[in-house]
Amino acid sequence: MRKLFVTFIYTILVRPWLTFFIGVSFHNIEYLRDADQFIIVANHNSHFDTVSIMAALPSKLRKNTCAVASGDYFGKSSLTVSLMKLFFNAILITKKVKPGKLSNMEVLDQRIKEGKSLIMFPEGSRGNPGTISSFKKGIAKLLKENPTVPFIPVYLDGFGRVLPKNKILIVPLVCKVRFGSPVFATTNDTKTTLEEVKKEILNLKKKNERDRNQFEFY
Amino acid sequence: MDIFGYHIPIELFFILCIIFVVLIICSSTLGMISLMSKSDSVSELVVRTNSWWKMAIGITIVATAPAMIGTIVLAYVVFVALREMLSIIPLRTADRTVLVASYFAIPIQFYLAYKNYYYLFQIFIPLVMFISVSVILVLTGETNRIGRSMAIIPTTLILTVYMPSHMVLLFHVSVPGFTVGAGGLIIFLIMITAFNDIFQFTWGKLLGKRKILPKISPNKTWVGFIGGILTSGVLGGALSFLTPLDYIRCVYLGLSLSIIGFIGDSIISAVKRDLKIKDTDDLIPGHGGAMDRLDSIVLTTPTFYYLLIFFIEN
Repeated sequence: MRKLFVTFIYTILVRPWLTFFIGVSFHNIEYLRDADQFIIVANHNSHFDTVSIMAALPSKLRKNTCAVASGDYFGKSSLTVSLMKLFFNAILITKKVKPGKLSNMEVLDQRIKEGKSLIMFPEGSRGNPGTISSFKKGIAKLLKENPTVPFIPVYLDGFGRVLPKNKILIVPLVCKVRFGSPVFATTNDTKTTLEEVKKEILNLKKKNERDRNQFEFY
Repeated sequence: MDIFGYHIPIELFFILCIIFVVLIICSSTLGMISLMSKSDSVSELVVRTNSWWKMAIGITIVATAPAMIGTIVLAYVVFVALREMLSIIPLRTADRTVLVASYFAIPIQFYLAYKNYYYLFQIFIPLVMFISVSVILVLTGETNRIGRSMAIIPTTLILTVYMPSHMVLLFHVSVPGFTVGAGGLIIFLIMITAFNDIFQFTWGKLLGKRKILPKISPNKTWVGFIGGILTSGVLGGALSFLTPLDYIRCVYLGLSLSIIGFIGDSIISAVKRDLKIKDTDDLIPGHGGAMDRLDSIVLTTPTFYYLLIFFIEN
């Protein structure tokens, strides 16, 4: 019943609102067709990032996908925590882990072993609009621990202008969610894997810019 | 003529039939060609024709539905165009408040047009929004490059909201003895503008050599320009049954809309050149963004409206 409600909200409200009002377009979702379990890795500029990726996923995959979010930011009130859990299956991680509990890495690893997919923003923070800052190592460690799980690079374009950090006003502007094909990490070295992940996202960024110029003037 | 108890003027029904018959012929010919050979140029033509289908259906709704539905559809199209323009122009983070205000201008402007509050309609964007944008920018307090935003945002509003909103005023044009109604005028305007683009492109491709604006749009030639004007004049005369005017005045309308359409196309091309992009977006497959299709119609709409009023009164 709860899952049906969430699916209903996404298909009837969130997705039409994103496409027809805000101006989000989804590209290359067909790469997800054969995917089963994956870690989505995306650049992070806005709160809209998680919503848009979740809305882009087919409902079958959405049920099984958890967004990794900061517990220090979203964990302040119980209402936001329950909303995050309801709509994003959020896994809240905090910088300081209470003694006696599992570390962040262990929690995420456990979820992947359970068969869940993850959405991760390796930049950690939303940063300035349009910039991709340095990646944190967590994603590479997870890929090393779970060599059978591919990562799916996603490039998010324009969301930093729709709702940037520390702003409340939402401005409808054209933005794009572009999926890449699933990639398996080739090495065990975390540094190389991290560079690989970043390269895939930057490739998608280039493709995004090229796509706009493919038709002739007339 | 009545379809399911819904009245459509016979002239309007006739022209819509022609449009859809042409589209059916195009689609079926392309379908047969693509069965025999699969090349990139054929598949791009198929994509383009499919987009034409959707646009034709949209135009049919605007032309035949009641004025209120037509107004809402037009307002949404203008919203998409404005959103696209504001997305491609590099603006500051401090301009975000003004952008929201600009979006609110659309429902107000279209409401004024729908209610035919003529003077308020005339002054709302060039005067009220022009001042409001500057005031909001001043109140935001970020003075670095504020003059640029003060210039760009009102210009964008005039180009993408004020000018196309004149199409709603066509719903209020009434001439004794003229039975086709606003639908005929809208179809006349859109057909002349769309076919003018196609005529200029085709003449230019067939015979064009000397470029007319080499720095802005390398595909535009003198032959395309002149040929487009003359052919549009002929088409204007042929479509005179959609307007309350006589044959010769419709030829004048066709000629002037062709020149103005060319100017609108060049303005948007120049802006795209400046921003180093070829299309404003990829919303309409095969055509680019909404603004790529609306580039000529934003200027032809007010031209058509005022010339029509002038010709009716004189």
